[in-house]
Amino acid sequence: MEQNVAELYTEEDVALLERKMKRLRTALVVLGAAAFAVCVALAALTNARNAGRMELAAVIISTVVGWVCIYGGIFGVDAKKKEIGHARMLRSEPRERIDGRVTVTDERLRIRGSITVRRVEVASETETRRVLVHENRAERLAELPATAVYVAHGYVAAAEEAK
Amino acid sequence: MKRVLKNILSQLHSFALWALMSVLLWGWIFGLATDTSYDKKVMIYCHVPELRDVELTMALEDDLPESIKMVQVHSFDYVMFDTVSIAQADILIIPAVDVSEMRDEIVPLEGDGGAEAYDPDTGEGILLDYITYGDEAYYLFLGAGSAHLEDGIAARIAKKLLDM
Repeated sequence: MEQNVAELYTEEDVALLERKMKRLRTALVVLGAAAFAVCVALAALTNARNAGRMELAAVIISTVVGWVCIYGGIFGVDAKKKEIGHARMLRSEPRERIDGRVTVTDERLRIRGSITVRRVEVASETETRRVLVHENRAERLAELPATAVYVAHGYVAAAEEAK
Repeated sequence: MKRVLKNILSQLHSFALWALMSVLLWGWIFGLATDTSYDKKVMIYCHVPELRDVELTMALEDDLPESIKMVQVHSFDYVMFDTVSIAQADILIIPAVDVSEMRDEIVPLEGDGGAEAYDPDTGEGILLDYITYGDEAYYLFLGAGSAHLEDGIAARIAKKLLDM
């Protein structure tokens, strides 16, 4: 039977993640700078008649755009940065091969200050090994008819599928 | 959607902190943008139940002395925790009951007593388009700590208020 090893993160995947992260970071910086410029312009154009409305507008713009930047920064840029670091680790570190039937469970774990992962069970005739996979690659792994996985530091880096 | 909501809830403290910082930051910046030094502004404080401060400010800013950049009209509520501002006031409109209590912070416009701003018996008074008075007599005084006593600007604007 022909074997085929499918990498969960190829070099192209890592490059694509880096491009997406840089684009998102640039967009957030531009959005934040534009909002700040608008608020400064509102402050410069204020007078006794419109001061209350101008300040309210500046506070609303600054708050809402700030929330968007916080959300995008934490769950977009930072999450992608961690995923890129994780992908690089998977590609560079030594791997262990584990044979067996691969099942991606619904158990989701958020590693504090790091990535969110799903639990994977690899069941052979003699034992069941429990490893982890990045949640963004869990679906891809679940769709593969994998007969073995390659694991680095307890995380699935690649799967071997029977052809 | 559920995931987005979960993410938002996990960072609720960051969003709340940012909103608070935003209010404080822009409050401070707009405070700077709408303020100037004591010698370039005239501050009017009114201890009245209702004050249309923006409208009165606009009416006074149409014709200011050259050295004055702005007029600030505030109710006493505005300075509840800031007695320094009251001490620096140029003009005060206060009820009769406040006069003895504030005797060190006020000086009469002319003569001994304050200029009458509102008579509750007749309902006649100054600035009735801008001020709703209570059921007592109100008087207009200059502030003892005013930066515009010597240059006469406080008295000039006070007279303008009496004529409006």
